[in-house]
Amino acid sequence: MSDTFRNRLMFAVALVLAAIYLFPLYWMYITALKTGSAMFATPPKFLPSEPQWGIYQYVWQSRNMGRYLWNSLVIASGAVSLIAVLGVGCAYALARYRNAWVDVGLFLILMLQVLPASLMVTPIFVGFSQFGLLDTPRLAVILAIAAKSMPFFVVLVRATFMSVPMELEEAALVDGNSRIGAFFNIVLPLARNGILVSAILIFMQSFGEFVYSKSMIQAVELQPASVGLNSFMGPNTNEWNNIMAYATIYVTPILAAFVLLQRRIVSGLTSGALK
Amino acid sequence: MKRIIASVTDGKGFDIGLVLLPLAFLFIMSGLPLVYNLVMSFQEVDMFSLGSFVRPFIGLKNYADLFSQSETRPILLNTAIFVSASIAGQFLIGFGLALFFWMNFPGASWLRGLFLVSWVMPGLVVGAIWNWILSGDFGVLNFFLRETGVTDGNIFWRSDPNYSLWAVIIANIWLGTSFNMILLSVGLSGIPKDLYEAAELDGANAVQRFFTITLPMMRSTIGAIIALGLIFTLQQFDLFAAITSGGPNNASNVTQYWAWDLSFRQYDFAKGATISVIMIVFVMLASVVYVRSTRHEVRG
Repeated sequence: MSDTFRNRLMFAVALVLAAIYLFPLYWMYITALKTGSAMFATPPKFLPSEPQWGIYQYVWQSRNMGRYLWNSLVIASGAVSLIAVLGVGCAYALARYRNAWVDVGLFLILMLQVLPASLMVTPIFVGFSQFGLLDTPRLAVILAIAAKSMPFFVVLVRATFMSVPMELEEAALVDGNSRIGAFFNIVLPLARNGILVSAILIFMQSFGEFVYSKSMIQAVELQPASVGLNSFMGPNTNEWNNIMAYATIYVTPILAAFVLLQRRIVSGLTSGALK
Repeated sequence: MKRIIASVTDGKGFDIGLVLLPLAFLFIMSGLPLVYNLVMSFQEVDMFSLGSFVRPFIGLKNYADLFSQSETRPILLNTAIFVSASIAGQFLIGFGLALFFWMNFPGASWLRGLFLVSWVMPGLVVGAIWNWILSGDFGVLNFFLRETGVTDGNIFWRSDPNYSLWAVIIANIWLGTSFNMILLSVGLSGIPKDLYEAAELDGANAVQRFFTITLPMMRSTIGAIIALGLIFTLQQFDLFAAITSGGPNNASNVTQYWAWDLSFRQYDFAKGATISVIMIVFVMLASVVYVRSTRHEVRG
């Protein structure tokens, strides 16, 4: 068996495995394009005979998706900005030193990373309502998400800072830079890519966040797309093509960003989670 | 004063400030809620006392009430089944895939990365897709099962109490497999190749090589991944909200959904806090295992 034949065979098997694994995604895209009767046909059709392209516009308008996605965007951008502003410096300081205090800090951060949102939401909700934060529910959700996701961000970005050679920073200090100057002119530009990838990852997570938004945002006008999808799916719904069209509009931007940045995201993720 | 400013712009104070500010934020937003949670679990909380800080203190009554409720035991059992079945499924399938993609061929790493889309998608969307796939009469999974002869009739995944928990488990395995696979791939690529060459020279076959080299070398990675799996499955909430809502009649309810349901559906915040306290203690124990095994990874 020649090497090229083996490689092609392996690639073919890998393609089949990926196709099986990604079938649910395909099913989402296909169902969205089916007519009401084609959707409930037995046996199901795996290629839509008459694709209904108009469904996206219909769902976008009838479910008011623009508003939902805008809220998701506001919440995700707010959370990412807050996390980035607070988290980058923290990750830098934790990467620069190696002593008992840093170990304690890291341990605390890792512990906070694991707290399930659905368990933390009870005290956060009661506390926020007592301090009047629920009057600005999107801000409340942003704060809660920031507290939940910042530890993960710090762990990822710390791994990036570890790979920036300390000598470069020391050289800048010798040349007369202050610590702040060296941080902004030398270290930050060198770690830019890693920080960006981690921020994108956090953005994707916050864009799909559900528990906090569902619990704290009562007003429909302020709810994000995840809550909108949840209220779209009643217990006995049969509008599956519309729901899948909603899901398609919701996730396609995320999937596109992921496929474009796949290599960077995967390497950033693995460096943080295991080291 | 001047010295403090100089230290902040140009000395140790710079680093300390960078760390203390976020830690203060985390303390207020995560640490205080943790304490408040514990306090609430010892109090009587209802809709009227929700807004006040002074509430009647009732000791361990919430805990006693909780364990005398008839649904507590089945839900704890469900949680155990959900966690162990999810982790087993994610790990075994993920390990299989990781081993396959480990055999290097052109395009392997790109295709492998593509699997991760299941992990970056919003949980609610994953839940919606699986809700439709698992639908009883028209679900495509039932179609495949019938065609391949595994089952005769349709399984009503979401409404049959015998299957509803498994409906969520299937979706959760799909969601988490890719993450397991990626992390296991990292572990696999860290094993020195010459070990295998030496074993091959000594006449060890593929199965022997797997059990005497791959598994022992992967021990700390596997420990970390299983601990991480435990942490992630205990965080899983969106799939329950999107597929079964814990029903029918709590047949697919697990503690992390129940805690939310008690607080935000039945407005029994004290009970919600009580379950949260118990589960958070449990999650923290798991994370100690995770932190220890990753530590080991870095130093060893």
